[in-house]
Amino acid sequence: MLEQSGFVDVRIGPPVDTFGDASGESKARLFEVFGYAFLAYKPK
Amino acid sequence: MSDGLLVDPLALREEVKAKYRAVAVNPHGSYHFHTGRPLAQRLGYDEVVVAALPDSAVEAFAGVGNPFSLDVLKPGEHVVDLGSGGGFDCFVASGQVGLKGFVVGIDMTEEMLGRSRATAMAMGLDNVEFRQGVIEDLPIEDGSADVVISNGVINLCADKRRVFGEVMRVLKPGGRLQFADIANGKEIPAGALRNIDLWTD
Repeated sequence: MLEQSGFVDVRIGPPVDTFGDASGESKARLFEVFGYAFLAYKPK
Repeated sequence: MSDGLLVDPLALREEVKAKYRAVAVNPHGSYHFHTGRPLAQRLGYDEVVVAALPDSAVEAFAGVGNPFSLDVLKPGEHVVDLGSGGGFDCFVASGQVGLKGFVVGIDMTEEMLGRSRATAMAMGLDNVEFRQGVIEDLPIEDGSADVVISNGVINLCADKRRVFGEVMRVLKPGGRLQFADIANGKEIPAGALRNIDLWTD
């Protein structure tokens, strides 16, 4: 979706276990939900 | 939804407001996500930077990743934070851009804005401002930002294309979007995607 919106040079960082040991962990595990960092540029 | 969205954007917005209003008022309450300093440590924020911040700047933090992990901000940059909440990422950004830079946090929740503004005042920060608004319609001038950051907020918007369109509008040419958010590795059933309660619980 980022590239479809016009962003370029999109990078995605490694997954982070955002919900580990939180009460939302079981639901997160069910759908393999993790946090990610994203970096994208508006063309010059 | 006739416009192709999975849920009613306004109804979802009210659910999100209620959830984060609660976090603002009671940051140490029981939520399905972590908050505060333990969360910042889990997500890999610079421990020295976080330790230097007052509790009021950190305790309502409810992000899902570290938007500064792939790139740091440069001195003098102008930054916009989408869904600034209690202001934690704005305060981290404030230190990175320095006195010649500026950070604007956008949030729709009065309680979060009250918290972040009070903290900025207590910290004596002159390079941070918090504005009320929604990220689908940013109260920011065209082409004015070097960087847009966000943390765990875009996933809570029904119309993500509109959000990214707004980011594109406010960024300068060559500007960057560095944000953190959640993504799922397994497909979520269509019925669940249309259940607003599951977006925020």
